[in-house]
Amino acid sequence: MADFGEIVDGTFVLSPEQVEIRKYGFSEIKASGIPTIYHAGDVVNLPYTTGETSTIEAIGLAWSAFSSGVGPA
Amino acid sequence: MAKRSGSSFGSFNKTKDFGPGKVAPIRTEFSQGSVPDSIYAANRESAWSRWRRGFEIYANSLYDKSYSYTFNYLIPLPAGTVLPPGVNPPQIPGICQGFPTKNKELGMHWAGVRVGGSLRFDNLRGGGGVTASIKSVTEDEDFWYVSLNGGWDASNPLPPPLFIPPVIVGGREIVPKQYPINGEILEDRVVEVGGTPITAATIDPDTQRRYGYIQAVLVETDEINGILKMQKLGSVEATPDGVFQTPARESPHVGRFLITGTRYCCSCQDFSRRDYFYMTQLGSTNKKLFPRTNVATLRPGRFEIMTGTEGDANAVNNNAMTSAQLDRQMEIRAPSAAYNIPPTVTPNSSTVPGTTRDNPGVFRSFGGRYVRNNPLPSLEGAVAEGPPLYKDYKTRQNEDGSFTITELTDFWTPLLDEMRYCKHIYAMKFAEKVFPPEPSDLPVEMGDIIGWERDLVAKTNRENQTAAYNLSVRGLSAMDVPPYNCQSPMMMPMFQRLFNVPSTFILMDGFRMYDKNGKEYNPSEGGRPEV
Repeated sequence: MADFGEIVDGTFVLSPEQVEIRKYGFSEIKASGIPTIYHAGDVVNLPYTTGETSTIEAIGLAWSAFSSGVGPA
Repeated sequence: MAKRSGSSFGSFNKTKDFGPGKVAPIRTEFSQGSVPDSIYAANRESAWSRWRRGFEIYANSLYDKSYSYTFNYLIPLPAGTVLPPGVNPPQIPGICQGFPTKNKELGMHWAGVRVGGSLRFDNLRGGGGVTASIKSVTEDEDFWYVSLNGGWDASNPLPPPLFIPPVIVGGREIVPKQYPINGEILEDRVVEVGGTPITAATIDPDTQRRYGYIQAVLVETDEINGILKMQKLGSVEATPDGVFQTPARESPHVGRFLITGTRYCCSCQDFSRRDYFYMTQLGSTNKKLFPRTNVATLRPGRFEIMTGTEGDANAVNNNAMTSAQLDRQMEIRAPSAAYNIPPTVTPNSSTVPGTTRDNPGVFRSFGGRYVRNNPLPSLEGAVAEGPPLYKDYKTRQNEDGSFTITELTDFWTPLLDEMRYCKHIYAMKFAEKVFPPEPSDLPVEMGDIIGWERDLVAKTNRENQTAAYNLSVRGLSAMDVPPYNCQSPMMMPMFQRLFNVPSTFILMDGFRMYDKNGKEYNPSEGGRPEV
């Protein structure tokens, strides 16, 4: 079971060759680590439990507040 | 006496040879999207050419993965809302991907992705705490009607953000009702409350077959009956065989919970339908140049301006970037009346009162698409191809004579694989390894396709080199990248569409960024990536 906020469907894995050929123009740079932690096509696991304000609720709060002329805190 | 051609009078009198093969098309700015150049507009508008160019950009951008900016946007809560301590804050994960571009201010287009699954319907509860799973599905030829559990009725309508009730003061509707989620891509990928979203490969332990799921665009919401109308056109199905097919042959599955799919937005001209003044040309041409916009490319209709400076919250502030502590607002200005051309033009004619146009010298519009917008007198109920429809919003007149915008209908529609993706978004879809289906509208008059593709590869390579050179010479400062530019005139509308929150809720202190090692930093507090 995935934890909160983990990627459950990530299709993007850089091959060693792709990591190797990363460069600016013609001058090579040194880079380490994974270039991205999210990528297009990923699906994130955000199961909010009771009592938490979920993303969908927060967006609802934002739009409702905007209707009434209330700004962010 | 008339001078002979080639004399000191120039070639003024010289007649040109006329050949039918040499008739040049009208290529003025006004013709973009207008009648004379419609065949070329079809070429430019072709989804196929975006799809093909997108692949080339993807192949080229394998070098430039360093322009990825991973973020987690913590949604600001309205004033007065208290977040329970010690719990997960509401957040939207995503990335901004920079595409070095030759003819773009500061050399970069920014495309953004909101990671799928950010909004989950198992977090929505109706009467008695019932979660909003799919209760039943009916369908007709074009749509699915997905009924949600929760006992919805007039006194207990669907909750925000599916439906925002109107604001009524003294019996008068001040703000109309809103449906911010309409237009989102929805997928039925959560099988149980709090469950991990399934993938195309997840196997149902009960049946030992893959679950499969549906992806479709939400087009309408019935808040009283709790029904979501989803569009079959452009829908995608992950089948139990583990393959994707479009359109979906199955309906969304009863008992599951919907989540939002991946959402893309881009700051490029193609996606936003607008170009803006390219300041860097001032230096390169070495001429004094006043930013101006051709009258023909000034769009009548609504436009956005950024306001807010240190001393004056209402002052216009169109700077590309400001300090992290300053929060700007996006205002939408719209004509208070229909766009009117004066019946006669006299030397004393001036702008018709109430007619507003786009920001001259800042933006220019690419013109409109053909839309069927005029009633056809010869055929009852039919509409004919008409001139481009510029009015992209609806207003309602208030009692005091003022107008309120009730609906913004952008050119932009987030259909799954239909025409409104730009080449940068196609490039991201190629990177995602979901090979986007090849659109069938091959551009006309393209001639030799092998030659065209060969030229395209060479051109993309060349332009990427130029763009990379420009970036290294002119420099992309730390303030020119997300999230520091999140309130610039081009980026704020883009982020607003991407996150689907009101523009006032786009604040820099909501951004948490991740460096190349996945370490979090907070730019609004001076955080920097590790080097």
